Amino acid sequence: MVSKKALITGIVCAAMALVAYFAWQFEFFTYDTNSYTTTAEQLFTTDHLARLLPLALIGLLSALSIVACVALRKRLALKDPRRMPSAARGVSQPQRPRHRKRVSRFQVLRWVCMIGFFVFMVFGGILLGARFSWISIPVLSCPANMSQLTEASCYYLAHLDELASLPWTGVLTFLVSTLGFVLVFGRTLCGFLCPMGLAQDVMHAIRQKCKVEGIAMTDRMYQSLVPLRWTMLFLMMGLCFAGGNFCNFCPAISLSPIAAGLSVSLYASGFLMVFVLVAGFFKRRFFCTICPLGYLMGLAHAIQPFRIKKDCVACTECGACYEACPMGIKQIYTEREHSDVTDINCIMCGACVQCCPEDRALSLTFFGKGLYVSKRSRVVGAYGRIQHD
Amino acid sequence: MTNDAITQAQREQRHKELFASKATHMTQKYLRRMRALGGGSDLLEPFFDVLERTYVRWEDVVKPPDTPTVGTYCVQVPPELIYAAGAQPVKLCSGHYTAFSIGDDVVARDACPLVKAVAGFKHMGTLPIYENCSLMVVPITCDCKKKIAGLLQDECPVHTLPVPANKEDEDIEAFVDELYGLAAVLSEKTGQALSYESLAQAIDRMGRAQYELSRFLQLKRDSQGLLHGTHAMAVMNAASYLDVDTWADALGKLNDALAVRARTGQLVTNKDLPRILLTGSPLVFPNLKIPLLIEESGGLVVADETCMGERGLSDPVVPVDRSFDGLMRALAIRALRPCPCPTFADNSQRMYRLRQMIRDYRVEGVIYHVLRGCLVYDYEYRMVEEELEQLGVPVIRLESDYTDQDVEQIRIRTEAFVEMIKLKKGPRGASGSSR
Repeated sequence: MVSKKALITGIVCAAMALVAYFAWQFEFFTYDTNSYTTTAEQLFTTDHLARLLPLALIGLLSALSIVACVALRKRLALKDPRRMPSAARGVSQPQRPRHRKRVSRFQVLRWVCMIGFFVFMVFGGILLGARFSWISIPVLSCPANMSQLTEASCYYLAHLDELASLPWTGVLTFLVSTLGFVLVFGRTLCGFLCPMGLAQDVMHAIRQKCKVEGIAMTDRMYQSLVPLRWTMLFLMMGLCFAGGNFCNFCPAISLSPIAAGLSVSLYASGFLMVFVLVAGFFKRRFFCTICPLGYLMGLAHAIQPFRIKKDCVACTECGACYEACPMGIKQIYTEREHSDVTDINCIMCGACVQCCPEDRALSLTFFGKGLYVSKRSRVVGAYGRIQHD
Repeated sequence: MTNDAITQAQREQRHKELFASKATHMTQKYLRRMRALGGGSDLLEPFFDVLERTYVRWEDVVKPPDTPTVGTYCVQVPPELIYAAGAQPVKLCSGHYTAFSIGDDVVARDACPLVKAVAGFKHMGTLPIYENCSLMVVPITCDCKKKIAGLLQDECPVHTLPVPANKEDEDIEAFVDELYGLAAVLSEKTGQALSYESLAQAIDRMGRAQYELSRFLQLKRDSQGLLHGTHAMAVMNAASYLDVDTWADALGKLNDALAVRARTGQLVTNKDLPRILLTGSPLVFPNLKIPLLIEESGGLVVADETCMGERGLSDPVVPVDRSFDGLMRALAIRALRPCPCPTFADNSQRMYRLRQMIRDYRVEGVIYHVLRGCLVYDYEYRMVEEELEQLGVPVIRLESDYTDQDVEQIRIRTEAFVEMIKLKKGPRGASGSSR
């Protein structure tokens, strides 16, 4: 007897596989002839702007879906008497000065890295030349943009048959650069470089600004996503052997190539990108939890030099880190024996360290050196300045 | 018939007067003993004054005018929610011996004295902090709290807040729902709907108090002997009967004064006194006989792990999601996850909390306090004893009731315990060499 949950999971995974296989049937925005390169002259011309249309379409569809979701949730909340206080319009109260949030230098650095990398990946090849194109970085910055600064490893991982037909030097540089990045950085690249991560973090930041309620996931919900992640991995690595093309399904193709002003046809990926943005709006970095490339990079968590360390005695199990973690890593607050809590899913975004209220309980380290260490003053210190403001 | 009625009323009046005089006498005695401890007690006058006002002069909570008060028990009721609804929380867990003797006749024989004292006050119907409550929120943390909720219902509107036995994600979700229910009840009482702004403001206000508290604890950690532990407990107890801004202001001033004392080396004692950690059942003013006896017999209560003490306020709300739901979740998470209350089935995290406190405060002995009839704390003594044995820290279990009759027994045991630690410390500690 198959349980209901297993049945649903099976159906979702099968549907995903079908959509991926027949991805070219779902036309989102197509061109008769695709172009995969651009030149410096074409940048920021009206032609370039016109080619951003698919991206604008994705943004518009996402915004509409989000508004619809919020309206629907509000209606449901009004029907539920227990959720009334949030739904009902409150009597306005005299406003006291709110404390200013301390800007975290670590998070600023992370945002600068993400945005800077995005810009360089989209336009870097045009501006600096193709001299880094032999490097393969394992991030979802779509290599359909052939003018980007470096190669992205995802293309050959999704087309293993093509990798096999490369000359041995090509295979070697691919393997060496990809493995090098994975072994040194691991999923730190997800948190600091990945353009898909940036897009989702931007959606999250917008939600925080609008103070719209998100969707909190429990560990069971995270668990039920694991089969989806395996299916994604299976599709990415295996579709090329079955005659499919993962790139028509991968949402990343609708981000950087379009931003660079290329005429690249979008199939299922366009619709999927809308889903990624909407899901990322309500649940921070939702796509990262099922990202196949991220999972492969996560395998390096056992040896990578970037690690999350924990002082198990200082921890009060307050669970703030777990609430903040976009990847839903529970052991970070339940762990009571081992000082190393680096998880296969950890993207080193530092959210746990940022909100940890206990001195030195959590730290992000590089070769054992603390780069970002939790401090009580970071959490409660902000409140102390209310009176002085 | 009329005559009988008058005499009945007169008798009740006399009974109340007698109760009042006995109750204030008892409170005054403990305030006197706390002041007599010396060593910085002059700095604590604002806090003593709050306790005096509440239990001697029988005045209501200090709060902005026209604010309804909401009585709470335990640490699982988020005060932020009550402030956000425009009400004033007051913690009604009681430590009063006179009220206990009244409540002894009202509730079950084996109920804990804390609940008996609450029942006693409510039965007499004279103490303003109980009488002016427009609502009481009782978390269901133990059997006694559950039954007292039913008992209080006859006298005052009561909202029960079920506390889950575990801290799994599903339990947290259920508790978030409970908090939404509480929020609806509160806003119905006050006529003020909760909004993101009002809740964020309340979290800010509590946050400032927690900031001052963490400064206070830091000062205590860094220079031990800066303050008597009994006095620190008085400071924490005073928070129950004040609005949070006033308490934070007073604590801020105390912190400034203590920081000066720490710099100039003005400690309550120059002797290297045995450093004792107090843990176990709640110690509510005026039932501070145990810390008083420890410090009167030459020990120093460096820290306490009790819910009316440091535990009640020290864990901050950490809002990570800036939406109304995100704030509600942060409140629910703070109320359950870091809380080492024995109401939870698996409370092994309390051992880690104790271990950290022993490390931070260089604790030399632990006194485990059990209120008579407080089963949940009694259950955990074994676990604590085994843990402390591994760490090589001596521990004794002290059982007490809300009465002065067991004082001498407790005194003998605490004195022996303190002497034992002094001997263990060797001649340097025993002779009291200065630091």
